[in-house]
Amino acid sequence: MKSKLTDLKTAVEQIPSGSSIALGGSILRRQPMAFVREMIRQGKKDLTILGYPCGLATDMLSGVGAVKRVESVYTGLFQFGMSYNFRRGVENGEIEIRDFSETAQCNRFRAAAMGVSFLPTKSLLGTDMARLNPDQVKEIVCPFTGEKYHAVPAAYSDFTVIHAHTADEYGNVQWPDHRDADDLDHLLAKASTRLFVTVEKIVPHHEIIYNSNKTFIPHNLVEAVIEVPFGAHPAPCDEYYDEDIEHLEYYQKCSKEPGRWLSEYAQKFIYEPKNHLEYLNRALTPERIVKISVK
Amino acid sequence: MDYTINELMVVATARELRDGELGFIGVGTDGRAFTLAVGIPMAAARLAQRTHAPNFTIFWNNLLSPELEQMPPRLTQHYLTRWPSSYQPVSCVDKNDMLSKGRFDVSFDSAPQIDRYGNMNITAIGDYKKPKVRLVGCLAQPDHFAFIKRPIIITDLKKRTFVEKVDFITSVGYLDGGDSREKKGLKPYGPWKVITDKCIFNFNSENKAMQLESLHPNVTLEEVLDNMSFQPLIPDTIPETEPPTDEQIRLIRDVIDPNKILLLV
Repeated sequence: MKSKLTDLKTAVEQIPSGSSIALGGSILRRQPMAFVREMIRQGKKDLTILGYPCGLATDMLSGVGAVKRVESVYTGLFQFGMSYNFRRGVENGEIEIRDFSETAQCNRFRAAAMGVSFLPTKSLLGTDMARLNPDQVKEIVCPFTGEKYHAVPAAYSDFTVIHAHTADEYGNVQWPDHRDADDLDHLLAKASTRLFVTVEKIVPHHEIIYNSNKTFIPHNLVEAVIEVPFGAHPAPCDEYYDEDIEHLEYYQKCSKEPGRWLSEYAQKFIYEPKNHLEYLNRALTPERIVKISVK
Repeated sequence: MDYTINELMVVATARELRDGELGFIGVGTDGRAFTLAVGIPMAAARLAQRTHAPNFTIFWNNLLSPELEQMPPRLTQHYLTRWPSSYQPVSCVDKNDMLSKGRFDVSFDSAPQIDRYGNMNITAIGDYKKPKVRLVGCLAQPDHFAFIKRPIIITDLKKRTFVEKVDFITSVGYLDGGDSREKKGLKPYGPWKVITDKCIFNFNSENKAMQLESLHPNVTLEEVLDNMSFQPLIPDTIPETEPPTDEQIRLIRDVIDPNKILLLV
């Protein structure tokens, strides 16, 4: 095993504009937000986002016009409402969108993980996700039973980025005893071509090896691992910190008005801080840390 | 006893849940959408457990059979992570397999557009590629409608919601009616009931069109039709929706939702 430790700037430099990128987390939880902010600072453009539901990350990238296409199951901010930047992008015709149901998108990542080019699904039969996406949803018939299915293509991506709890320097990524795994991170990792993982904490290798049953992404899948405390902020990281309600409400207040998010929120929290630590200095006060920390 | 429309909708939903069944509750965004997608179903599930269906269980977020009696005071991430339950799958793959394998009996679904045959749209208003309003996407709603035996639709009755044809079919109800759904290769399921703030609908067993089942107390037929963009089937005599009992109201207010998390708006 070799060390995969790197820093955000170096990892993000690997990703050229125009890449397809699968982003982990779900709904709001444990999205790689620090990684996304660094992508925006480095001016990545024309991205294709493959998601299960990675709403906040997609919305942020949409807000700076970095997104060309989204293939996902949901783009919204759960109890904080719609993802307005993304929504405007689609409504303006700037973002190309392909919607998949959860089981269909799951099968797409499963195909990529298995190394096959497609899998069948019945969940899109009769839907407009199928009718309006003939390039990616094709009718097939089971050669054994004659049943109708759609074939959906493997969700291969150039890069996959996941935010997780802990890892060692080799990229053995572990989850805690209690976690919320309402996501496809485990599958996304298996489906990845080049996988970058940010974690709340890098731990010594010996802490991993006596609990290897907690390793849900093994080192051989990982290209780079980066320690990024509060790396999902303002989204929550289960067992570390809750959603930052005040921050997300401010985010939504800005993003509801066209232009305001870019001129106000993005300046304050993405462009002016030169790196993640400067972001934390700006976004988190000791009081705020106490408030969102999980006790 | 006085009751709110939300409480009536909870009671009407609970009535549809059977002992021993497993229900799937989805996610809602904020405000009214949250009440319809999460609040009313959750309260109904718990009311059913407390009354006629003690063995009714749910799947919600990533929790199979969470202890509804120990519902947390807030629904932020930490409280969801630690909500006592029977099972937290290691990833959504497991939930998706349970769905497509057909292990759920009922689901609770809402949408900004629904048509005569119970097809639903949560994806886009207007043209899909350049929509007037882009909505949230799909989530697992198409999976509910494809794989779950009795999806229950819970939504407010509005002219812009109940439309002749949805702009985009996210989830297939009875498609074009009759056996058109089965002809596409889908199982002979389809939406079971539509529970609204004014009335309850079901679907005709032959042509599968939406038909009025009952009017809520003090609601007229005219009021219902004024709030729809298509005419549903109307029976000769229209029963009144059974109102909540005092005991049901007491359970909802004092036991199920004392902190007003579920039925806020």
